[in-house]
Amino acid sequence: MIRISTGMIYDAGVRAINEQTAAALKIQQQAASGRRILTPSDDPVAAARALVVSQAADVVTQYGANQENAKTALSLEDTQLMNANDVLGQVRDLAVKALNGSLSASDRQSIATQLRASYDQLLGIANSTDGTGQYLFSGYMGDTKPFAGAVGGAMQYAGDDGQRTLQVSATRHLETSDSGLDIFQRIGNGNGTFTTDFGSNTGTGVIDGGTVTNPAAWSAPTSGSYTLRFTVSGGVTTYQVYDGATAVAGLSGTYTSGQPIALPGSQVTVTGAPANNDTFTITPSSSQSVFDTISNLITAIEGASTTPAGQAAYQMDVGGAIGGIDRAAGNIMRVDTAVGSRLAEIDSLATANSAVSLQYQQTLSNLQDVDMTQALSDLTRKQVELEAAQKSFVATSKLSLFDYL
Amino acid sequence: MSIFSVGISALNAAQVGVQTASHNIANASTAGYTRQQIIQTTATPMFTGGGYVGQGTDVQTIQRVYNQYVNSQLMTAQTGASEMDTYSTQIQQIDNLLGDPNAGLTPALSAFFKGMQELTANPSSISSRQAALSAGQSLVSSFQSLNDQITQIRDGVNQQITDEVTNINALATQLADINQRIILAQATGANQPPNDLLDQRDQILTNLNKEVRTQTVQQSDGTFSVFIGNGQPLVVGSQASQLQAVQDSSDPRSTTLALKATYGSTMTLNESLITGGKLGGLLSFRSQSLDSAQNALGRIAISLGQNFNDIHKLGQDLTGTLGADFFNMTTPATYSSELNPDKTTVSLTAQFTSTAASDLTTSDYQLIYKGGTYTVTRLSDNKTWSGGNLSSLVDSSSQPFAEGFTLTLSSAPPADGDMFKIEPTRNGAQDISVLITDPRNIAAALPIRTVTPTTNTGTAKIDAGSITSVASMPLSSDVILTYNGATNQFSASGGLTAGPFAYTAGQPISFNGITVTITGNPADGDTFLIQNNANGVSDNRNAVALGALQTGKTMVGGTASYAEAYAQLVSEVGNKARQVQVAADAQQALADQAQSARDQVSGVNLDEEAAKLLQYQQAYQAAAKMIDITSKLFDQILALNS
Repeated sequence: MIRISTGMIYDAGVRAINEQTAAALKIQQQAASGRRILTPSDDPVAAARALVVSQAADVVTQYGANQENAKTALSLEDTQLMNANDVLGQVRDLAVKALNGSLSASDRQSIATQLRASYDQLLGIANSTDGTGQYLFSGYMGDTKPFAGAVGGAMQYAGDDGQRTLQVSATRHLETSDSGLDIFQRIGNGNGTFTTDFGSNTGTGVIDGGTVTNPAAWSAPTSGSYTLRFTVSGGVTTYQVYDGATAVAGLSGTYTSGQPIALPGSQVTVTGAPANNDTFTITPSSSQSVFDTISNLITAIEGASTTPAGQAAYQMDVGGAIGGIDRAAGNIMRVDTAVGSRLAEIDSLATANSAVSLQYQQTLSNLQDVDMTQALSDLTRKQVELEAAQKSFVATSKLSLFDYL
Repeated sequence: MSIFSVGISALNAAQVGVQTASHNIANASTAGYTRQQIIQTTATPMFTGGGYVGQGTDVQTIQRVYNQYVNSQLMTAQTGASEMDTYSTQIQQIDNLLGDPNAGLTPALSAFFKGMQELTANPSSISSRQAALSAGQSLVSSFQSLNDQITQIRDGVNQQITDEVTNINALATQLADINQRIILAQATGANQPPNDLLDQRDQILTNLNKEVRTQTVQQSDGTFSVFIGNGQPLVVGSQASQLQAVQDSSDPRSTTLALKATYGSTMTLNESLITGGKLGGLLSFRSQSLDSAQNALGRIAISLGQNFNDIHKLGQDLTGTLGADFFNMTTPATYSSELNPDKTTVSLTAQFTSTAASDLTTSDYQLIYKGGTYTVTRLSDNKTWSGGNLSSLVDSSSQPFAEGFTLTLSSAPPADGDMFKIEPTRNGAQDISVLITDPRNIAAALPIRTVTPTTNTGTAKIDAGSITSVASMPLSSDVILTYNGATNQFSASGGLTAGPFAYTAGQPISFNGITVTITGNPADGDTFLIQNNANGVSDNRNAVALGALQTGKTMVGGTASYAEAYAQLVSEVGNKARQVQVAADAQQALADQAQSARDQVSGVNLDEEAAKLLQYQQAYQAAAKMIDITSKLFDQILALNS
């Protein structure tokens, strides 16, 4: 038979009540704080995971903020590029108008004046700033005004070629700017492979921009440019292509106006009547600033000559400028398309981001949050158990033989 | 006459019985009290012709109802429960400290890197820079505040060890005293057991075992000798030694233990041998959880500081200057043992290696020089590296020592037997600080930029470039990469001369710490420029690299990010706290069980004593009746004469 000492009854009673109270308190704390894990020891694995997940959630939130920042920057750039494109559209319309042979000198002057205004407008766009005063198109040099120049001179670019980026996802550093060099300056002149020009001609021959028929067969001139030279002898006009001073074998023939003249992998077309020793040069393309293109256009319009050769030169200058403006517009559209696709990318990233963010919140909630129904039901159960422990203790401790002595 | 004496003996015995029951009732709730009972025997009978006639009763002794085995089990269980309970109470402090989702390191780390990310959006904005700098200062304060709290816990442990030592000494003195009184009592009491003194001694021993685990040996004279550790005498007979709390000879921030014998010298006790009780709990908490928690926190600070500084120094600040250290970093803490004979002349210094961020562990290390060999021991797992000099230490499989730090002695070789302790990460969280004060000095940009000149006729493009060293920065002039179509090579000229490099589109070209990648079809003579990034105030490339550190796995051999390393610490502490709590509960259950077992045997049951009171009362009444009857019998005899 087990012998029970009186002290054991008290010890056991107090211990049971203590244990029940502690358990009830724990559930109460969980319910009050809404947290299942009050200290890491409650569930070390979940606690550690919650820390890692909460950082991941913070990072995703940060990507979201970066996406917003990138969107702001790119939207601004998009707006300015659209504006630039509008200006170029006006310039092109004016240039086409200027080609009209029936224009008077004052008409041309008026066109030139409008073109000067467009030039300044475009310069303003190229030097535009964002909300914080940073120049949009100066690359890394946000504090440096990128473009300085005037009609008649070459545009100077003071920025650099840098592209600003923001981290918009774990693996994507999105470009949030494009350099002015890339947008306004680095525009291939001519047809992109070569450019055509004319010498001090006396005839009325006009050369077009040329086309590349077989890019693989194109070979750049070793001297730096090809010269197309016309010879009029006995009423017959012939031509010969020279590479520097060397006649290129096979590239010669009898001239017919409007008939393509072959070059390596490409062709040019001359129309009109070139005089003897009239020359045209074909130079591999390099870059030309859109500002210089417009500046040249203005210079050509303002300095138009009425001589036949002058007319031919005017036609070629303005025609060349229109080609240059088209290429500049094409270049701006290229950049703007890239900007647009980056904006679209941000939108799709943002959708993915909010899905991931929600996922993390749910994971965190599963790891940390208390199941309120469960907690309240547990609390009620503990309450009943605690009362039982208290009542049974009181009942047991009341029993004493001394009561009957 | 003998009938009278039989009656008296019965009366006496009943009185002693009532007295003993009353004593039991009086002490029913005295801690450590063992119920007593009288041992009653028949008195020696008298021989008559008619045989042996009973002479009444005799109270031989009053003894404790005591089971030595159950009692020693109780002590063992209580010393274990007390140790685990103390450990659990202590570790809960760190558990609460680290796990708070709003006050731990995680929010500070997130805020810091958020600051860096904001900077990438507005690298030229002074307010963004100031925000990033302030976030850096908040991170540092978080490290320091967590560390301060751990230091406070450590100070608390040291203080409690000192208090425990005082308690233990008091108990040891009481025990020695009571040993003495027991000898005297036994001598006076004709070898009757001094029950209440024995109870008191047991109670003192129980209390002592709640403080620290002891071994007890009963001597032939009835005294107890008590030993701690692996046989260091705390009490022998009536002599008590003095336990002392002293500064650790190889770590001045830790309080450790020494024992001063009654007659003799003081010797330092090996901490690992002191187990059980509150003292054992404090010591194991300190060595198993506190040190490693502080080290783990320090390691995160050191790794973050080193990684951040490394990248920051590759950058260029708003003023165009190369980045300097962002965080202040110190060197690992080293201590010479107080016992080194040349402790005043030879000191050890340690330096972090360039790969410390990934190599450091959370352990402390010990260096011993003996017989011409240096041996470094990693104290967490006792792995050793040894060698004839400090720069050529290898482990048992000849792998070199690569734990994130190097060691240098102020003069080598030191004295034979010299011992040093290295705590590489202990001070990491305490010592980290932000060196930069001017927000413009955050190096958000890279010192170089690339340019594709408009004169190029090919379609090739160059990327923004990256750098791994600033040895050639700033460039004396632009570096020009020129393409030679005939050989399909690029060569660098201008500020730096390098190459030629065979050109493959998309293949990085690296020289002098600069790496650029060219794609597309370059034309012969095309050039690309690499320039100093003058006025590159909107360049955020280095800030992006700094921000990327948040998720980069740069710690623990490249397997963990800072947040993961911190989560690992939290999980370790949490697991240990849980494990200790479970052990404490189990030990407590064991102790409760042992207490029940003891109380079943030795505890007072009031009902039982009530019954005994009745029993002895009736025995007393019967004995009195017996004397009454005897007296009446005698009166009958006297009446014959009247």
